[in-house]
Amino acid sequence: MTTPSDRPDRPHPAAELYAREYRAGLMDRREFLGRATALGLSAGAAYGLIGRPAPARAQPAPRRGGTLRIQMDCRELSDPRTYDWSEKANESRGIVEYLAELKRDGTLRPMLLESWQANGDATEYTLKLRPGVTWNTGEAFTAEDVAANLAGWCDSSVEGNSMPSRMAAMVENGQAAEGAIEIVDDLTVRLHLLRPDGTLMFGMTDYPAAVMHRDRIGTSVADHGIGTGAYMFEEFSVGERIVLVRNPEHSYWGDGAWLDRIEFLDYGTDPAAWLAGADAGEFDMTYETVSDFIDIFTALGWVESTVGTSSTVVIRANQEAEIEGIRPYADPRVRRALALAVDNAVPLELGISGRGRESRNNFHVAPGVHPDYAEIAPHRQDIPEALRLMREAGMMEYEHELISIDDDYRKNTTDAVAAQLRDAGFKVRRTVLPGSTFWNDWTRYPFSSTNWSHRETGIQMLNLAYRSTAAWNETGFRNADFDALLDQATAIADDTARREVMARLEQMMVDEGVAIIPYFRSLYRHAREGVLNAGMHPKYEINVHHLGWA
Amino acid sequence: MIGFILGRLGAMVLSALCMSFVVFMLTNLAPNLEKLAKTQAGARITDAEVARWLEKNGYAEPMLRRYGEWLGVLPAAGATDAAGKLLGGRCLRGRPDPAPAPRFCGVLQGDWGYSTKFRQPVAGVIAERLKRTGVLMGWAFAVMVPLALAIGVLAGMREGSALDRGLSTFSIATTSTPEYVSGVIFVALFASSMVGLKWFTGSAKSAVDGVTFHNFTLPVVTVALYGMGYIARMTRASMAEVMTAQYIRTARLKGLSFRAVVLRHALRNALIAPFTVIMLQFPWLLTGVVIVEALFVYPGFGDALVQGAQNNDIDLLLAVSVVAVIVVLATQLLSDIGYAALNPRIRVA
Repeated sequence: MTTPSDRPDRPHPAAELYAREYRAGLMDRREFLGRATALGLSAGAAYGLIGRPAPARAQPAPRRGGTLRIQMDCRELSDPRTYDWSEKANESRGIVEYLAELKRDGTLRPMLLESWQANGDATEYTLKLRPGVTWNTGEAFTAEDVAANLAGWCDSSVEGNSMPSRMAAMVENGQAAEGAIEIVDDLTVRLHLLRPDGTLMFGMTDYPAAVMHRDRIGTSVADHGIGTGAYMFEEFSVGERIVLVRNPEHSYWGDGAWLDRIEFLDYGTDPAAWLAGADAGEFDMTYETVSDFIDIFTALGWVESTVGTSSTVVIRANQEAEIEGIRPYADPRVRRALALAVDNAVPLELGISGRGRESRNNFHVAPGVHPDYAEIAPHRQDIPEALRLMREAGMMEYEHELISIDDDYRKNTTDAVAAQLRDAGFKVRRTVLPGSTFWNDWTRYPFSSTNWSHRETGIQMLNLAYRSTAAWNETGFRNADFDALLDQATAIADDTARREVMARLEQMMVDEGVAIIPYFRSLYRHAREGVLNAGMHPKYEINVHHLGWA
Repeated sequence: MIGFILGRLGAMVLSALCMSFVVFMLTNLAPNLEKLAKTQAGARITDAEVARWLEKNGYAEPMLRRYGEWLGVLPAAGATDAAGKLLGGRCLRGRPDPAPAPRFCGVLQGDWGYSTKFRQPVAGVIAERLKRTGVLMGWAFAVMVPLALAIGVLAGMREGSALDRGLSTFSIATTSTPEYVSGVIFVALFASSMVGLKWFTGSAKSAVDGVTFHNFTLPVVTVALYGMGYIARMTRASMAEVMTAQYIRTARLKGLSFRAVVLRHALRNALIAPFTVIMLQFPWLLTGVVIVEALFVYPGFGDALVQGAQNNDIDLLLAVSVVAVIVVLATQLLSDIGYAALNPRIRVA
């Protein structure tokens, strides 16, 4: 049997196919790069395939040494698989690293892996480890570690483990399928998937996929500090300050780790307090700058960086929710009516001051960001039709309670939607819950808004939120046809065909009125002049190994 | 006198018990326990996982029983494995190795529990935070009390004069401006790039590593001004009343200078009433400190209360409420004793 790994010089056949499509104008460059690197090509090789030179590093390497202070919530650390905030991964990324990382431009860069190769139909992945990586205990990083982590990622029995959904193609009965993870030699792991999955590597770059020492799976890094990264914790005060310093006992594999010391400082959730801290010169970089404060920070002379993402606010009805014995949102006409009453440009303007891009229609795939986005008919506000549907469903007199979290853009976006629903003639009551209680029941509210973070591909989004068995399915949308199409689309295939399936999935979301998805956000971050490699990342990632001063 | 103090101490213990029980009830309502499970085990865990987590960590016991565990009168329980070894529960929290865990670990054993938010023993959190808030309150008092007394005495010695009107207006203005208004105004005026003065900083976060004039002035002034006006008004009233007394007139008629009359005869009697008010400022400052610490990002006792409430950190909230009860009742006791010492007409007990 020959596998692509026997011929590492030859690019993946699908990548060549993508290259042809790119040249034929069927996909844009960003999309091509994302897909080709997911199959195991380096960014340079991917550029080569389409006959373009790889762009030179725009920035010089940072100088060695120095301290960087970052404003960010300092949260406690648990088992990385249960991380529910990007901040947690940012705190631990200087110690426990990832097999690969997602760059700001949507391409993948190998980290603890040297390379990976998928076979022709994406049912087998060969992972080549980077030689010479050691744990800070002095032990070598081997295929045993990778296999143990992969098995841990597939383990659904761990409370709060969100990795199994990303590794779904290897999971059987809540564990890694028999024979799915094969250790070939010390530096090679081969994965045998139950079904084709072209998004597996993206799952391994996600923030809960930190690679732990094989004997420490399930523990918190804060308890022992064992990892492959260049840093160690000097101070760990939750809610206050977390300090990382270079680990003198450890020789780091990478050429980064420019800084001697990184401080994460917690300024709470009020952006006004962040501004006060910036004005007082207490830190050098924000985790994320939001709303009106974006312009204010820029006016202070800080350097703004922005990135387009698929982050969004989903205003959804839950089809299974029961209120006083009735299921108001079980009827697709009601859901459709709600969507038709909204002009998506309004929440974009009022919710996030236009800092983003209007969605094409109410489906969870982002134009210009997701490589598998398919163009379908755009959304148009149609109030007469909305009224007709709502009357037909006999729900004109029903008062909709629209719930949101008490936080600027989510609240404002939801307010804008509620106002439009009222303008159309529906009865709407707004309920705003504090962040401390909102997340208790977020998947079960009858009608509410949820913010979703960026995922690299549309198909990941759909699998995560709209598959009937998904843990985070908040819409109560459970549809066998949709699931079957999802399976089809998740398997890698000829792009036009996949687009076709995606188009059907998208159209289904629209026709079923699954949710109102008005826009996709751009994210912003500010840093002082001279901070390098701190550009905003679509997933809020901060890799302290890359940061430095000019 | 001794009996009086003992009685008060008994009342204090009883109040602390009642208060902690109320807080315990509220923090242990089902939705709050669910919130706790979700902050601890992941924001998006399922209901079944929540139930499992609560069970394993000893939160599934009846509430009264767990209150007993917190007090230390009942042994802590939790899920056990087949061999009967505890897997979780009160005594294992924050102790990585379950082997040497004691059976009792409540307040009576001197164990204030484990903060689920800050991931360290509550006693340590409270001690550190109280120290920081103590620094803030200490400076605030140092500014507030002398200033208030001076303003009150100056305003009260000549009732109705222009000086009195001016100072009274000022103290009414400061008292009627709550901290969350004055603090914001101060930050905007003296610490922001908007106005550009930037004399001080609008964030006191760096004050944790060392208090400077630069980073601590605004929070101190914000706390001090709010409390100052009230004390000043009370002092003024007391002073004005003393100034109308017979013996003051006698002293003036004897030919003493106005200055000597005020300093030697009026002041001592005029300062008895404000003493009580100053003592009362302690509990009020405790609430003010919550706002000021949040505003200036100063991680003190008030911030611990806010963080504990936001994360339903049961042990931390209980300790905070006990400390609050002790502060309030102890300052009242001190004020009663002090008042009796200052004013021979008053007898306690």
